Amino acid sequence: MKNEDVKVCVLRIEGTSCEDDMYQAFKMVGASPEKVHLKQLIGQTSSSLKRNIEDYDILAFPGGFSAGDYVRGGAIFAARIKSTIGPQIKKFVESEKPVIGVCNGFQTLVELSLLPALNETMSSKSTAVLYRNDSSRFECRPTFLRNDNRGKCIFTSDIPKKKILMIPSAHAEGKLLSMDPKFVDKLVENDQIVFRYVGENGENAKYPWNPNGSLSDIAGICNSIGNVLGMMPHPERVLTRFTHPDWTRGYNSEEGDGLCVFRSVMKKFL
Amino acid sequence: MVTVEIRIELKKGIVDPEGKNVMKTLKLLGFSGVRSVKSIKVFDVELDASPEEAIKSGEEMCTKLLANSVIQDFKVTVR
Amino acid sequence: MIRRNVPYSLYDVNILSATDDELMCISSEMGLSLSLEEMRMIVAHFKKKGRNPTDIELQSLGQAWSEHCCYKSSKLTLKEFIFSIDNPNVLSRGDAGVMVFDDDYGYALRIESHNHPSAIEPYGGAATGIGGILRDVVCMGAQPIGLVDPLCFGYINTCKKIPKGIKHPHYLVNGVVSGIRDYGNCVGIPTISGGFFFDDRYNGNCLVNVGCLGIVKREELLSNYASGPGDVMILLGGLTGRDGIHGVTFASTNLTSTSDKDSKGAVPFGDPIVKEPTIHACLEANQKSLITGMKDLGGGGLSCVIGEMAFGVGGCGADVNLDKVPLKENNLTPWEIWISESQERMMITCRPENVQKVLEIFDMWDVNATPIAKTTDTAHIRIFWKGELIFDMNSEFLTSGPVYNRPHIKPKISTKIDEKFPHVKITNDTIKTLLSDINIASKEWAIRQYDHEVRASTVIHPMVGKINHTGPGDASVLMPVPGRYKGLAVAVGCNPWFTEENPYNGGKACVDEACRNIIAVGAKPDALTDCLNFGNPENPERFGEFREAVRGLGEICNDLQLPIPSGNVSLYNETPGGEHILPTPMILICGLIDDIRKAVTADIKNEGNKLFIIGKTKDEMGASLFFRKFGGEKGDVPDVDSKNLKRLMDKMLKTFDKSLIRSCHDCSDGGLIIAIAEMCISGQIGAKIDLSEIGDLCIERKLFSESNTRWIAEVEEKDVEAFKKIMDSDAIYIGKTGGDKLTVKDTDINLTVDEMRSTWNDPIWNLMGGNAE
Repeated sequence: MKNEDVKVCVLRIEGTSCEDDMYQAFKMVGASPEKVHLKQLIGQTSSSLKRNIEDYDILAFPGGFSAGDYVRGGAIFAARIKSTIGPQIKKFVESEKPVIGVCNGFQTLVELSLLPALNETMSSKSTAVLYRNDSSRFECRPTFLRNDNRGKCIFTSDIPKKKILMIPSAHAEGKLLSMDPKFVDKLVENDQIVFRYVGENGENAKYPWNPNGSLSDIAGICNSIGNVLGMMPHPERVLTRFTHPDWTRGYNSEEGDGLCVFRSVMKKFL
Repeated sequence: MVTVEIRIELKKGIVDPEGKNVMKTLKLLGFSGVRSVKSIKVFDVELDASPEEAIKSGEEMCTKLLANSVIQDFKVTVR
Repeated sequence: MIRRNVPYSLYDVNILSATDDELMCISSEMGLSLSLEEMRMIVAHFKKKGRNPTDIELQSLGQAWSEHCCYKSSKLTLKEFIFSIDNPNVLSRGDAGVMVFDDDYGYALRIESHNHPSAIEPYGGAATGIGGILRDVVCMGAQPIGLVDPLCFGYINTCKKIPKGIKHPHYLVNGVVSGIRDYGNCVGIPTISGGFFFDDRYNGNCLVNVGCLGIVKREELLSNYASGPGDVMILLGGLTGRDGIHGVTFASTNLTSTSDKDSKGAVPFGDPIVKEPTIHACLEANQKSLITGMKDLGGGGLSCVIGEMAFGVGGCGADVNLDKVPLKENNLTPWEIWISESQERMMITCRPENVQKVLEIFDMWDVNATPIAKTTDTAHIRIFWKGELIFDMNSEFLTSGPVYNRPHIKPKISTKIDEKFPHVKITNDTIKTLLSDINIASKEWAIRQYDHEVRASTVIHPMVGKINHTGPGDASVLMPVPGRYKGLAVAVGCNPWFTEENPYNGGKACVDEACRNIIAVGAKPDALTDCLNFGNPENPERFGEFREAVRGLGEICNDLQLPIPSGNVSLYNETPGGEHILPTPMILICGLIDDIRKAVTADIKNEGNKLFIIGKTKDEMGASLFFRKFGGEKGDVPDVDSKNLKRLMDKMLKTFDKSLIRSCHDCSDGGLIIAIAEMCISGQIGAKIDLSEIGDLCIERKLFSESNTRWIAEVEEKDVEAFKKIMDSDAIYIGKTGGDKLTVKDTDINLTVDEMRSTWNDPIWNLMGGNAE
């Protein structure tokens, strides 16, 4: 499959304000992204605007404040999807097509129960939550992430193991939490942990390096098949070196640290 | 028409950063003797139903949207 | 008032036979805020028509003739000093100014005030301020790309008694920052620059200025007018309610001790989740060439927007079906609908054949869109309510508000003759006192609550240096067109203390500072937009300050050929008892840089590099932070020689183009030594300073003078020769980078970088709470 034949659905509703950035990220790796409003997928538009989720190869949930983040981040977006095209989305995931959710998109995936999905692709009730940051504040700051995945996640196939990337965070609710005391163990066992926050020298992250207090410093996880990735930090904001906050202090490559996430998933279609 | 009050609070043992931070700031502003602050969310939903039906759909609203069972408990009452 | 016999509320107001006392009574009871003189002009107009006005007609005049809408006090001064600056790169002077960005794109810029609403309800006031400024940029057909919020408050921990009915600065700071955060983050536009100015003179009346930048394809640049008679006017976005009634008349009078109770209705509430899709839909309709004009419903609501959109195209009028306006609640009277300032609303005009297509786009985004009026060739605005004519006015009379030549007194200025120099032994503590002043101290508490990276185009961030050890930057830089390295730099310039002691010099200094910030990142100043916050213009002393500041501002912009394609004036910033704010001309400046890869930040990059000061340090201590902190009085307020500024800017740009400068920071509040301290803090590297080559000033003046047109630059040894060749005697060697301490020869200053960092970093965190644990 040629890169430009890979069709990406960047799903939006009111308030998903990062769709342009997500669109740009897939554009930069040669895919054919399209910004699609949820109403177009559930048939609430004129026929020329109607779209079918099955026609896409990748589904992307951008960051932002979908539906104003009222109730909880991503909750309303997820409820609307569940009650309309829930079964189609489940089928999409089961057919092992890639799905990525960043920031509010990650929250939406958790609300949809597509993550962490320890046992089944999509449960009826969510089993984890992205909870309010320990600081109780919106935190916009650069964060270092280490690729802790052992090979399952298709969004890190092109990233060396244990490699540290600078990918910025910007959220108020990003602390991954579950009531299951074995939650982290299970994630580790299933190879579902993808990114962890680390300190500036790769050490365990304390605030502000871990900006939200997330369990085991987890910044991103995938489902048990490895085709659904959710992460709080924004890889689509660092496609070039020049949006890194410290590039004026020197750099080796003009490529930004976030691009490899999108390049990785494209390898699936080679 | 009845009004159901849906009260959503954090489960025991879940830290409440909003409450904690408000408490810290209250102390900073000179309020002495503040022992604890807890944040609670309340929705008032007006609907056409009998009180029993209203409670039932209130609870369903919680499980489907308003509360996340991982961290939150809810209480539905008719006013 | 005589109620008309109709099934809705409509009154004929008897002004034709009213006495002067009765006229003033009508003005105050109807909340018109019109003067006797203005009421008499209205009487004369209606005498000619041979009838009394209806309540809705009078209300409409109250709006259109308010200071906020027609700039009646400031217009003549602005005309004299500012409007004359011409520049071929100005593409539009509409709701937002638009300048050439490159051959294909233009960039939009605008700043305005949201002071009075924020003083009453800081969260909602600031949030709606953001909403309003975004609409101004969208109206040009531009995609908003960055927000800028300079704010002025009383000291967060002020010891002064707060006047009755006024809120504490701590509460205001928290509320305003939360409002900007929640709204700006939610609509997905990065907040990339701003500023905090703390002084007890803002205790009674805080300033919330909000600026916005946008980018627009030049072929898609939109006007704010209809295209001619026969256009359909479509009202978009939020519903109309009672919120925000009399907002502009409220903003055009002084705050009183009961303002917070009287004017609840005057603070509209915003909803970012209506705004975000509205922006999408408006821009989509424009890109498809379906609309002819767009305008924001801000001050004055429908009453201002319909008149201006129709009349602006060349004397058109409009027929309005007011009963078609979708409402939040049912029982609004026609005049309330006509002047309501409910948020999130815009008006677009389009040709009748495109109405259906436009409505489809808005339906897709679930945004209300309702055709409510049609432009006519009659030069009259006529309003119908269920078919009955309830308003018929000449649009020229309505939109041509009065203009005043207000009396002014030339302000007394501070000079060297009366200078009282404070006797302070210069030690580490002196530096720490300045670094920890909350005007200098880190604003990270606020900056990191704002998303400054969304849209993935922020190249130079508001805080610079090593990750999580950052310090203050000069200008922020955006890369607004994906795939192009052309950059747009933005910065704020303002020094209200200078302006207080010498309004004319202060006005010039604000522009100088703004230019310095742009130059410091390697960009070239291109245009500015200003928000002029002053006191009561009916007080000749206040108006004198305004005039002198604007004169300074205009002169320097003329000399530099810097256009001001948009701006805003906010007067009546006073509290009960007549305490007025510092005269505050807030400058938002934009600069262009051809290749952002050549941009520079203020953090020291390496050990062993040479430091230079560019520009002349003079004995100008008036209103300096050093004087304010240690009890100095009077003294010369720093002047600007605009020829010198232009010359040095050109030279600096040459060195940037050759990549000779590794880091650069402008010298402003606190003087040379604070600039160097900040560079050390963000670079985590110390410096050994020797000021002997500066000349024969005493060490206090060398360290703390706030002379304009100066920068500190770090240059690598290998580039020194090339650097000096361009800069010549304008760059003076002042020391070397290295070590973990800042020392100054012949003084006791010997501070570790860590000590400076915590001194500078902690104060605002400690005051506002929520510091990292």
